[in-house]
Amino acid sequence: MMSPLLLRTPLLLLRSPLGCLATVFGSFSASRNKLVTQAAAVPSPVYSRKTMHYQTEERGHPHCPDYRIYFKTTDGKYISPFHDIALKAETEQDNDVPAKKSKKNESEVLFNMVVEVPRWTNAKMEIATKEPLNPIKQDVKKGKLRYVANIFPHKGYIWNYGALPQTWEDPNHTDGETKCCGDNDPIDVCEIGTQVCFPGQVIQVKVLGILAMIDEGEMDWKVIAINAKDPDAKNLNSIEDVRKSRPGHLEATVDWFRKYKVPDGKPENQFGFKGQFKDKDFAVEIIMSTHEHWRALVQKQTPSGGIECKNISCRESPFKCSTDEAREVVESAPAYDGTHPVSPHVDTKWHFV
Amino acid sequence: MRYALPVYTTQAETFPSAAILHPRADSNTTLRFNMSFTVEQRGNLNALNYCLFFKNAAGKYISPFHDIPMYADESQNIFHVVIEVPRWTNAKMEITTKDALNPVKQDVKKGKLRYVANVFPHKGYIWNYGAIPQTWEDPSHKDANTGFYGDNDPIDVCEIGTKVCSCGEVIKVKVLGILAMIDEGETDWKVIVINVEDPEANDLNNISDVRRLKPGYLEATVDWFRMYKVPDGKPENQFAFNDEFKDKDFAIEIIKSTHTFWKDLISQKVNAGELNCKNTCISASDSPYYCSADEAKAVVAKTSPPGKEEAIPSSVDKWFYFERK
Repeated sequence: MMSPLLLRTPLLLLRSPLGCLATVFGSFSASRNKLVTQAAAVPSPVYSRKTMHYQTEERGHPHCPDYRIYFKTTDGKYISPFHDIALKAETEQDNDVPAKKSKKNESEVLFNMVVEVPRWTNAKMEIATKEPLNPIKQDVKKGKLRYVANIFPHKGYIWNYGALPQTWEDPNHTDGETKCCGDNDPIDVCEIGTQVCFPGQVIQVKVLGILAMIDEGEMDWKVIAINAKDPDAKNLNSIEDVRKSRPGHLEATVDWFRKYKVPDGKPENQFGFKGQFKDKDFAVEIIMSTHEHWRALVQKQTPSGGIECKNISCRESPFKCSTDEAREVVESAPAYDGTHPVSPHVDTKWHFV
Repeated sequence: MRYALPVYTTQAETFPSAAILHPRADSNTTLRFNMSFTVEQRGNLNALNYCLFFKNAAGKYISPFHDIPMYADESQNIFHVVIEVPRWTNAKMEITTKDALNPVKQDVKKGKLRYVANVFPHKGYIWNYGAIPQTWEDPSHKDANTGFYGDNDPIDVCEIGTKVCSCGEVIKVKVLGILAMIDEGETDWKVIVINVEDPEANDLNNISDVRRLKPGYLEATVDWFRMYKVPDGKPENQFAFNDEFKDKDFAIEIIKSTHTFWKDLISQKVNAGELNCKNTCISASDSPYYCSADEAKAVVAKTSPPGKEEAIPSSVDKWFYFERK
């Protein structure tokens, strides 16, 4: 069933003068829809890989506290980007093609990433873990929309930043190395490809390594990954490859995370493993353990601590709801209105920390 | 979906400061000017036909190269700067020295609009970048400091304040120091300045203050200029004085010398070559290039009417990485 709100006109991808991706539409009504372009079929010698397509639907007023980005499938079913998008970018069986058991080569494993913050921007967009269907929204602190400071020499975020779906850093779980508990969020990802993504974009990424950050005393892993579609992706297979092809970026990453809250009056952050990046295999182990913590969460084997677990697809989840219930959640959100744009109050100060 | 970052150019923006009078461009006058200038957009942003023409408070078209006084306040050494490139953007906007009325346009190389590369860790330009009006680096003059001839342009400025300025904005600045860059074999001074309205302006009075209050910024500035053309296949740029910044007094002397070169240019004491010296504010007795307001209007009328902005190619987002020795 094609919703009347579904976009029919072709999309024109534009960039505003300051270099971020924007989209221009034809007409739209109560909500604004965007087709989130996905990785095209990635050919392989064994089978062809088809990926899920997701759309986003904006609600509320851009740059205002009521702004939300909801997610749905192309057949109009609202989903949670936290719980209903698969962690691994699995192959889908084409109906005409007999099912083949693939030789799973770990180095070819791709993960789905939900982009929250485009590179070089400042608005702290995040998956709202405590709201039903977990839309993306801008974080609010002390009643104000939150923008991350510019820490010299960096401008905004220095990667596309987001999260891996179906993962959760359990606050009841203490990490062995750092002795810190999880930060109650999906695991974070820094995507180092060339393309500047947009909030709500779902991309497939190769995991390259991981950083053990301790943010305000909580365990806050940072996965380093690259967009599978990036021209460099095939040449990047380890954290060492990143060091060679992008000299300075890993050091800058540690520097960024160490200092980014200092302008807010917080202390510098600390790191496990002396701030060293661990390699891909270690990263995948951490990711899979946060995936298990997530599974226990949606199956209600772990206290949810305020996390909204509503989903439409999780097996054995007491939080699973109908697509109608999901639609009710979204339809109760304020209508999208971009007609009177509010200027974001981004602080352009460059902080020397 | 648009998650808008501040759009910095619109039609006919007015920049603050109350107009009092518009004086003749006579550097012997020690008037304190409180002037307002507006820009008028023609064509489409990010298209070849884009240009910004300048007008004075009376609505008369002016040249940002020749008709904006160099000094905002000579007694205080406060200068005007025409901002060409807002911090953190990539489009290479510049005062077109060879076009009538010298509108700001995007530079074109090999038929394509030019965008400066992002050289890691930098994103676009790392300061508001522009030029001091009524200055000129004379290409027939070999600079004693660098050993190279001038680059035939007004003197360039890096403004280090917090505010991200708009393209075409005219601001008042304090001079702090200067870098002697040699860009593709030409002298290309870079004056370091701060917007007088910046919250830290009172604390920034010389190059040593920049070092103290913004550690790393000067080093990043040298690095930026050294590397910015390498992605285009050009070599690293060089600098005089062992890559060091000279102080405010030295900078002011350099600026004044480029002002003298400009005065010779505008009075036709030296050959203009391909430069367009049309101006509407310097009296006919001081400049043979004086043109009437009507002639100026005709120049503008020949350009495309203003329209919607176009897309920036996503290739501009590429981040180039180099090992530093």
